[in-house]
Amino acid sequence: MKEMKINVRQICFIFLAYTAVTKLLMYPTILSQLCGRDLLFPAAASFLVEGIVIWAVAYLCSKTDKTFFELLEDTLGNVGARIVFALFALFFFAASVLPVFEQKQYIHNIFYDTVPSLVVFLPFFVFAAYACGKKLTNIGRCADVCFPIFVVTMVSLFIMAFSSVRWEELSPVLKTPITKLLGGFSGMSFHFTAPCWMLMFMGRFKYKKGDAAKLTFAYAGGAAVVLLFLAVFYGVYGAVAPSRTFAVARTSLFFPAIETLGRIDLILLFALEVVMLFATVLNMQMAVQCLAACIGTEKYALISIGINVALAAILIFTDVVYNAIYRAYFNWFWVAAALFTIILPLLAWTLKRRKRV
Amino acid sequence: MKGRAKKPVVNKFFVVIYWLIFLILGGLFFTNDFGLVDIHKTSIITAVGIDTDGGEVQVTAEIAVPQPSQSGENIVYTQVQGSGLTIADAMNEINSKTGFYPKLQFCKLILIGESCRDKELFRVLGCFYRKNYSELTALVAMCEGNASDMLAMKSAVSEMTSEAIRKILSDEVEKSANVTSANLKKIAAMQYSESKACYMPYVQVNQPGTSQQGGNGDNVGGDGAGQGGQGQQNQQSGGQGGGSGGEQGQSGGQSGGQRGQSGQGGEVEFTARKTAYFSDGRFVGVLDEQQSFALCLLQNEIRLAVLPCDSDGIHYTLGLKSVDCGTKLKVVDGVPELTVKFKAKAQIQGARVKVDLKKIITDDVVKPSVLESAEKEMQGRFESLMDDVKSSGGDVICAKELLYKNATKYFEAFKDDLLQRMTVKYDIDIQSVN
Repeated sequence: MKEMKINVRQICFIFLAYTAVTKLLMYPTILSQLCGRDLLFPAAASFLVEGIVIWAVAYLCSKTDKTFFELLEDTLGNVGARIVFALFALFFFAASVLPVFEQKQYIHNIFYDTVPSLVVFLPFFVFAAYACGKKLTNIGRCADVCFPIFVVTMVSLFIMAFSSVRWEELSPVLKTPITKLLGGFSGMSFHFTAPCWMLMFMGRFKYKKGDAAKLTFAYAGGAAVVLLFLAVFYGVYGAVAPSRTFAVARTSLFFPAIETLGRIDLILLFALEVVMLFATVLNMQMAVQCLAACIGTEKYALISIGINVALAAILIFTDVVYNAIYRAYFNWFWVAAALFTIILPLLAWTLKRRKRV
Repeated sequence: MKGRAKKPVVNKFFVVIYWLIFLILGGLFFTNDFGLVDIHKTSIITAVGIDTDGGEVQVTAEIAVPQPSQSGENIVYTQVQGSGLTIADAMNEINSKTGFYPKLQFCKLILIGESCRDKELFRVLGCFYRKNYSELTALVAMCEGNASDMLAMKSAVSEMTSEAIRKILSDEVEKSANVTSANLKKIAAMQYSESKACYMPYVQVNQPGTSQQGGNGDNVGGDGAGQGGQGQQNQQSGGQGGGSGGEQGQSGGQSGGQRGQSGQGGEVEFTARKTAYFSDGRFVGVLDEQQSFALCLLQNEIRLAVLPCDSDGIHYTLGLKSVDCGTKLKVVDGVPELTVKFKAKAQIQGARVKVDLKKIITDDVVKPSVLESAEKEMQGRFESLMDDVKSSGGDVICAKELLYKNATKYFEAFKDDLLQRMTVKYDIDIQSVN
């Protein structure tokens, strides 16, 4: 019998926690800059589309117990499957670049009072290399650890923020030009890679009746957290929101106790950072898994080191042109995202599959 | 085979080493130990004062310098000044003087001097909103005279001048409608709304232990403590709030004395019951105490406001609880109509009559004639504020924002002259607590 490397609970935790934490830094700022009061609409549209694809892939898991690689292999042959996985590896790698940049800027800006050098972020890659060298089982275990941290920190941060939210800031709705809403929908597509994770989890967990619904609801939970956070962020800052980067570190600043006790929210942010780190490396882990499947090896360590060195090199040498990289991603990444996170996962339904045993 | 196969000892050793390296690097990652900062060698900016001189900005930073001492931590407060075409230039100069990168994380007060009146507010303050230079929690206030002079004064209530000023701008004072507090976030959110207007407290200096008389209960401050500078009350609007009987309160008293002159031991006290307001980033004027009181009721959640009024020839001081105050705007037959709603429960806090201890227990029932006087007093204050807003065009009551939210289809038609066109209705209801 095939070894099951992850279970449904862990995948649910990944969809709930990791989906949310990766969108709490620059995503609210950029959306409020583009769409103002209507920032919830492009976000909701992105989550809706992605949620449907996740449900489609999760439901496909009820029809087959093959992995995505095996499905591809049966339909396109071994070489075809390897090529597709190489492309997915490239996609996951590309999708990792901006979130890693965001992490680096977040840590430099929020956790340091002085101006730190780039070197202080490099230990991130040591952690990432270690995490990426591990198998899928470890991704699930990490999700088990991260989920309670995520719940406690987010609930606390929300409580701290609620007292200063002015909900009327979000009205009137739908006064933003449709082009800007579409920009918000397509431009931030590098944050939406969850359907690809679902593809990679295919055949790696034991599907039971109703699991597709569980997974979809878990994703919807993550989406609800992000939507609530966007509303809170805009409710706190209103017209000032576009100037406030790293939103998660800003929303609780007006909590009355902070005036007296100092930045107690930093304790929560440090804890949440643990979840953020695991969420940020997930795409890198997926890139390693895909590349390993493409090469046909289970020795992830070398691949992991290679990918992390490449990402570190990109960070070091292109740090000064971050804005240009961001613009390129904003304008063009949606093409790759549409192909890899919507079209290909849906096309998985056309691959040859046999009935579940 | 059941159970796990034993890992070779060498493998275990590498795992331990790897985890040790990871933990050490993790520690560095979070704490920046290599960039360790000695707290005794830092200078923390606790407040900044901003003045302009010609085309230049002068920034005075109040700096807290921790001093090692045998009897525990001791902090010395001092002022360092920098200047330049932008605040960032001035901060850079302060940086070079203090040897510490001034990221304004601990700056809790930004004091804007009168000399900034003819400058665009958000050009002066722009630096604070850029990137992550400062959190937007710092309180903002305009001061009488120069900000640098005010920060250099000695306060009677705190060793740290900025802390003494922050005390009079606190949340608690705001919740009693005695100050219209504002921070960087609030003024920017108001300015970049459809109303394009904002306000902040106007800080004045008084000699300690003095209070101006003849204010019909709204007395504050007293003798000015010598701000000098450009003189006060320039472009001051309003002045006489509506209301019943007697002169209305005057705060601040006489100023313009010798710089540095002050009360006991050179100490002064601060008041901030007036409000400076801006339209499109330009200074418009200063609202007096009664107008500021009305504005504060409209814009903030109030726990207990104190309202003086006269009835049947007796002066009463009423405490207003359960305050529900706000504005609604709708367009009726093509005419914008603003409704100011004010509801509160009143109880007598003081009256200029001989106290009868036997009757105190039933004194909580406020007579209808007193309540009527209180309503008139309140309406007078609101009317005074509205008159000023209409004549100056500084939409601090956020009427345009209300129009945009509640009647968007009329916004384009009315946005330019809404304040002049709108009619104002008052729905004021003050009831006795018991």
